[in-house]
Amino acid sequence: MSAIELTSVSRWYGNVVAVNDITMTIGPGVTGLLGPNGAGKSTILHMIAGFLAPSKGTLTIGGKPSWENPEIYRSLGLVPERDSVYAFLTGEQFVNATAKLHKLPDPDAATRRAIEMTDMAAAKDRRIATYSKGMRQRIKVAAALVHDPEILLLDEPFNGMDPRQRLHMMDLLGKLGAEGRVILFSSHILEEVEKVSGTIQVMVAGRLAASGDFRAIRRLMTSRPHVFNVRSSDDRKLAAVLVGRPYTNAVEFTGRGSLQVRTSDFGAFCAQIAVLTRENGIALRELLPTDESLESVFGYLIAGSSSSSAQGQGS
Amino acid sequence: MSASFNPVIASITVRATLGRRRALLFAIPAVVLIALTLAVRATHPAGSSWEAQILGDFGFSVLLPLLALIIGTGVLGAEIDDGSAIHLLATPVRRGSIVLTKWVVAAVLTMLFAAVPELIAGLLAPNSGKLAFALFVGALVGSVIYTAVFVLASVLTTRAIAAGLLYVLIWEGLLGNIVGGARILSIAHYSLGIANAIYPDKDLNAGLGLSTSLVLGIVVTVGALVLASRRLSSFAIKGEPA
Amino acid sequence: MPADTPTATTGAAAGVIHDLGYRRYDGPRLGRAQMVRALAWHSFRSAFGFGRGAKAKIVPAIAFVALLLPAVVNAASMANGNGRLVFYDTYQPLLRDLVMTIFVAVQAPELVSRDLRSRVLPLYFARPIKTSDYPLAKYLSFTAACAVMMEVPLLVLYLGTIVNVHGGAEVWAQTRQFIPGLLVGLMWAVVLAAISLFLASLTGRRAFATGTVAIFFLATYTLAEILLQVENHGIRQQQAQSIQNAGHFVAPAVPMAEKVSGLFSPFTLFDGVRMWLSGHGTGQSDNVLYPGSFGAVYALVLVVLLAACLTGLFARYRKAARLS
Repeated sequence: MSAIELTSVSRWYGNVVAVNDITMTIGPGVTGLLGPNGAGKSTILHMIAGFLAPSKGTLTIGGKPSWENPEIYRSLGLVPERDSVYAFLTGEQFVNATAKLHKLPDPDAATRRAIEMTDMAAAKDRRIATYSKGMRQRIKVAAALVHDPEILLLDEPFNGMDPRQRLHMMDLLGKLGAEGRVILFSSHILEEVEKVSGTIQVMVAGRLAASGDFRAIRRLMTSRPHVFNVRSSDDRKLAAVLVGRPYTNAVEFTGRGSLQVRTSDFGAFCAQIAVLTRENGIALRELLPTDESLESVFGYLIAGSSSSSAQGQGS
Repeated sequence: MSASFNPVIASITVRATLGRRRALLFAIPAVVLIALTLAVRATHPAGSSWEAQILGDFGFSVLLPLLALIIGTGVLGAEIDDGSAIHLLATPVRRGSIVLTKWVVAAVLTMLFAAVPELIAGLLAPNSGKLAFALFVGALVGSVIYTAVFVLASVLTTRAIAAGLLYVLIWEGLLGNIVGGARILSIAHYSLGIANAIYPDKDLNAGLGLSTSLVLGIVVTVGALVLASRRLSSFAIKGEPA
Repeated sequence: MPADTPTATTGAAAGVIHDLGYRRYDGPRLGRAQMVRALAWHSFRSAFGFGRGAKAKIVPAIAFVALLLPAVVNAASMANGNGRLVFYDTYQPLLRDLVMTIFVAVQAPELVSRDLRSRVLPLYFARPIKTSDYPLAKYLSFTAACAVMMEVPLLVLYLGTIVNVHGGAEVWAQTRQFIPGLLVGLMWAVVLAAISLFLASLTGRRAFATGTVAIFFLATYTLAEILLQVENHGIRQQQAQSIQNAGHFVAPAVPMAEKVSGLFSPFTLFDGVRMWLSGHGTGQSDNVLYPGSFGAVYALVLVVLLAACLTGLFARYRKAARLS
């Protein structure tokens, strides 16, 4: 059984570090690679697929490196993100050509199977130039599946798909993962990842921020303290009231006429703040969460959970 | 490392290169060459050595290298440029086979669009049967060598055409005729050397002998193909640190 | 009162739009003329590779240096007391033809093919500019770029000569020769830019555009040259001879067939028009034989060629705006 193993893998371009000391193992089942844009997800995928060499560290698939090793493609399929395919071929011709390049014993049967799996039978005789973006994605997946690979790598596969196509693709990936294949796909949308994968690897700014079961990470993320900036008619009074509440972790006067409140129970705080201010005769002027971006969430994960990433290795 | 010709890749390459009416565009220079020959023949029954000029200056020195440049850099370069090469490379096909197949397609297409019209024009021109044949063989050889070098260029850089233009115009065009030593590195002179050996003609200005041309031509062709295969093996998707 | 919002990470809960602090711009906005100027300036810079990495500057740099060389060599030779080698109106013909061919073949696609390929035209046309402003800006900027390539070496030639001559009358004589040379350079720039931009705008693939432009110029040039040489070697010697004999230029009798041959290439057209307007050829370094009054046809063909290419260029962008 070939797993993908990365050991202290780094990749830099001049001064820019795209991937920073990543160690992880990817085994059978569906693994989601989650992270904001620029996190290094594509770089990792290209390195695993043998199209980029790590600047440092080792990367092996089933014990053998994928760099400069064309034989690895017998058991590996790649669905790149770039929208470029031979536009003048029909869908079927493209998949068929790929099948022949893989030297399959029965390319036509494999083509039929792959096209059916990706639900492209209706459009297979049209030229790829006439396909919509979602259809192009699916035909790329068909070509990547035609040789029945053990490992499937997909770079932002749900880009450009409508909800129905997305559901279908998720079903397909789930099914393939349940068969024991190693499926690794990247995305920056949490919902896509949570619906399909069991394990997720979270990357931020080239580093591995968290890995492991999705539910555990979700819990981590919701239990982090939220920080709000509050402006009201009577900050001192509000501060005194908030300090008495169980969900308040800390209250700080920013010196700029506002209050900074740290709370560990986001839901309770949100539900209570309006009631609280009304009961105490305070007018609430401004309520601003200060770190709601996905990046800060991920950043929190990096800063606070280096321990959990060590625990959540593999699956 | 053994490389073999791959028919699937070949057919895709042919379709990609000649698609979208590009075959017509490639045919235009050939048609011009033949039309020119006919026109001049009609107005000048005999006399000055215009055959060597039309066939040589136009067909050999302009048509052949430029067509080889466009076709040679296009067979692999176009796919690398727009990213569709990755679908080809994500298969267990040997890199050497890919380079070999693309090169064969490029060479054959160049022969078709540059060497064959050269022969036709040469046969149409009076009193030049032997010269036509010699130039035809020279053009065949030139197609083979030029395309190998340009396929290598397209693997090495994304600006292969600009580099190729500089080579053909400045190196071969200007320097090759002025500076004697530059001939050793000039593919035009390898081809001319072989053509000259078949039918010696002063107007060809061939500077190299037969054996030199043959040896250098083979070395350059094989070297270019081997180098291109090696570089393709370590093909990396550039940029995008995301 | 801006509200907070549960982000995607915590899922569930009611969705409220988060005020990220987006503000409308209410200040003064510059007009169409400014937009065209900005586009033209940006295009002018990219014609020399500025605004891209170092690799994009290689070809323009080589071309520019190559064109400067004759001026420098001339200055050196005049300083050493040898005669003048290079003239303003012809400069160094073969070099100029080749180098300018390379320059426009490689740089015109940088201006137009890149935008077509990355499909940014809808972004341009979503601004309040007219469809014709885009090709106009591109054409003006590329003409300016070609003019720089042509005129700066001439300027260097002029300065190098001034330094080596004495007396106001001599300087004035040089200037009187310099000005027509500048005009010739301008003619080159105007026409070359039109042709190359038009051909390059036909495709979004830079490599293919470069090849097309290169083949066009080289093939037409070779064609014209061959036709000229094929016709008759003799007249060229006659021309040079007559200058030596009579001390001034005597128009040789040139058969019609040869006059027509010069129509087949932009470079020979340039030379024909130059000779027609100036009334004489300079003997050695001509591409073309003296056309006499037939030169008017040369000028006409040149103007028609220019008009056709510009029309094509503008028409191309009307179509492209609709398609993309």
